[in-house]
Order: sequence, then C-alpha cells, then structure tokens
Amino acid sequence: MEAEVKTTQGAIVSVENPEITAPADWQPVIIGILCNWCSYAGSDLTGTSRIQYPPNIRIIRVPCSSRVDPWFIIKSLQATADGVLISGCHPGDCHYISGNYYARRRFLVTKKLLNFVGYHENRVQFSWVSAAEGPKFAKVVAKVTEDIKKLGPLHRYKKENF
Amino acid sequence: MDYTKQIQEIASKLFAENKIDYFVGCKQNGFDDNQVPFLITDPQDIPKLVFNDKSVFNLTNYLKADHTRRKRVGLVVKGCDSRSLNLLLTESQLKRENVYAIGICCEGVVNEKGEKAQNCIECVMPDAVVFDELLGTPKGRKDYIANVDLKELTEKPLVERADYFSKVFENCIRCNACRHSCPLCYCAKCCIDQETSTLYNGSNTTSSAMHALMTWSLHLAGRCVDCRNCEKACPSHLPLHLLHKQNEKVIFENFQQHLAGMEKDDRGAFYKYSLTDPDDFIL
Repeated sequence: MEAEVKTTQGAIVSVENPEITAPADWQPVIIGILCNWCSYAGSDLTGTSRIQYPPNIRIIRVPCSSRVDPWFIIKSLQATADGVLISGCHPGDCHYISGNYYARRRFLVTKKLLNFVGYHENRVQFSWVSAAEGPKFAKVVAKVTEDIKKLGPLHRYKKENF
Repeated sequence: MDYTKQIQEIASKLFAENKIDYFVGCKQNGFDDNQVPFLITDPQDIPKLVFNDKSVFNLTNYLKADHTRRKRVGLVVKGCDSRSLNLLLTESQLKRENVYAIGICCEGVVNEKGEKAQNCIECVMPDAVVFDELLGTPKGRKDYIANVDLKELTEKPLVERADYFSKVFENCIRCNACRHSCPLCYCAKCCIDQETSTLYNGSNTTSSAMHALMTWSLHLAGRCVDCRNCEKACPSHLPLHLLHKQNEKVIFENFQQHLAGMEKDDRGAFYKYSLTDPDDFIL
C-alpha cells in the first residue's frame, strides 16, 4: 500500500507560515466589526437591495468605530478569524462627532504593530462605509475576502496551534 | 553622575521641615554593585540613599501604591521618570502638592554589562520636565533617533520576523512583572486578567503571551516613556521594548511628532486627534 500523497497543486499557502497549506476551495473566516450608525445600516441596505457579497464575513455590531479596542482585533485573530474588517462612518459623519477620528489613530498603530510581529498587513483592514453605500459595502467585503483568500489560513499565534 | 550627597541633604531637609511622609530613592543591594529601590519613612535611613549611574529604576512606580498615593512623597526623577510623573499627574492619579520631585539632569544609566544603556543613548529628554528642585546642568531636548533593534527587525522579511517573535516570546512565563513594574499601569483590574477571558487567563502558551503583551503595549501606546522598567523586571529577559518602540515610532512619524509626557496636560496620542491624520490605509 502506498502512502497517501498529499497533492499541493492549487493549494493555498499561508503567508506567515509557508509550511501550512489549505485546499484550493478553502474559505476564510472574517470578523466584521461595524459601527451601528453607518456601516451596519449600510450592510443592511446591501441586504435589502439584494446585492450579493461573500458569506465569509461574520458581523458584530458596535455603537461606534471608536468602541473597538485593539484587543477585539487581537482576540479575533487569536481565536478563529483569518482576517478582520472594521468599518465606521466617514470622517466628519460620526454620530458622536469625533469618535472615528480617535479610532483612526488607534487603527493605524494597531495595524503597524500586528504587521511588525508577523501578521500580513492585509489581515486587518479598515473602511469607511456610510448608511447609503450599500454597493460599496459589498465591494469592500468582496475585496477583503479576496485579499485574505490569497494570504491563506492564519496559523501563526492561533490559540489551538501554540 | 553622582548626586548622592545633594539628595541626602535635600531628603534630610524635607524630613526636618515636615514636608514629606515618605522618600523614595535607591540604595545598594548589599551583595554586589547594583541597587534596589528604597522607601524611607524614618530620617535615620537617609545615609543609605545613593544616586549614581547605576540607579536604573523609574521610582514613580512606587507612587501609585495604596499606601503612598494619598501621602506626601519626595522622590528622585531622571528625564524619563519625570515624563511618567507628568502623565500620572495629568491622568489625576496623584496630586501635585503631594509630590516633591528632585529633578536630575541625567547623563545616562548603565545596563547590566556596565555600558551606557541603549535607551539612554536614544534618549530625547535627559533633563527632568517636572520638578521642584533641579540638580545638574540642563542639556535640553535632543533629536528623536529610531531604535537600533527595531531598525534591524523591520528590514527582515515577514516570515523571519514572525519566527523571531514566536521564538522569543515563547519564554514568557506570564508572571505579569512587566505590568507591575510599569509606572503607567495603575488600573485596579487589568483587562488581561478578566476572569471570563478564556483566551488569556491561566494559559501559559506563546499565543496567550504574545496577545497579552500586544494588548498591553497597545494600551500603553502614546503613553510609554521608554524607561524600560518592564525589561529590568522581566525574569525571562524578553525584548519588551520592541513593542513599545514600534508604537512610539509610528506615533512619532504620523501624529505631529508626539512624544509621551513631554508637556503638561498632554494625556497621550490617543486622547486627541487631528483632521489631517493619515487615512490612506482605510478602504
């Protein structure tokens, strides 16, 4: 009996850990953290307008994008997610006047730190989506899903792997 | 750099005039050349006080304890220590009238090998910024220099960098000495210790250590003054400064050259914003 040969043809290789591969039909898990007033309403509009977008995203509703502690991102990546998308109101449109300006500063530092310790920079992405931008939300989710599919499964620093 | 005599004189004067209840300084540890922090309540102990280039500790850490927080305390502050004192005052953790700070114009302290410490070579503010009394001659603010270790690491490819961090942070034993030694970690209940958090609590894995340290460093981003108390306290000798210096560099380059604790009433980079902050990374 010959040992089963694992075919690597068409497999997706993890960017951070080249030894880890996934089959070609692998689907990433993406955590989407959306602000209640703009992006969550925007995603609702996408649904009611019957626009198709990838089902890989799992949405969490937060009151404002500045509610997102960097910890939420870190925790998602540690537990199950292969990527995180955070979305809030456009600058100037924040329901709480300036929440997204504070959030923007935090996001930049978080993104750079995660990249520094060994996550690909596309693992964590941010967007501004307003309540009227249903088609934009679908495009953003499609782009993020495509980006993360290219990066492969997240293995580094996952809870079950270390 | 030796201010032992001046500090002893000032301390005895403060006790004689009944201006302070405690004095925080350094003393010889009794078995080698190194020093330990020293909390004085009795003026008889004043001759034991020393202060020279081996006084490496950030003594403001001892102001946040329950028994010193509401008492009148005298202490010695170097440049970096005074910046953390500035932050503690701004964040309403201490009252200015309760603190008598002896500022030092620092010439740099030594590391365990006896050479000038790396953070002192890269120091931006050697003189104390908050003080009641200043010793030495002020040298003024210096230019910001990027950290050497950080530079080397950021030039490496992603996989090598990830390998480096997973190898180094494997040694973390989750004793939280870094958090206890940090002058700016004063929360009574730390988010890393949440009883419901199964991700961090009680598990001693690389994953949990890495994520706890990242969360910790992000909560200190824009506030860390690079005193490296955490590294001195770490029993596993982890390069904790890498995380802090990375955040400091990003903040300095992107947010109007912000450095923590340099000015009075500056609560840190994340407590303010500018309309022109970079947002090219946002979709």
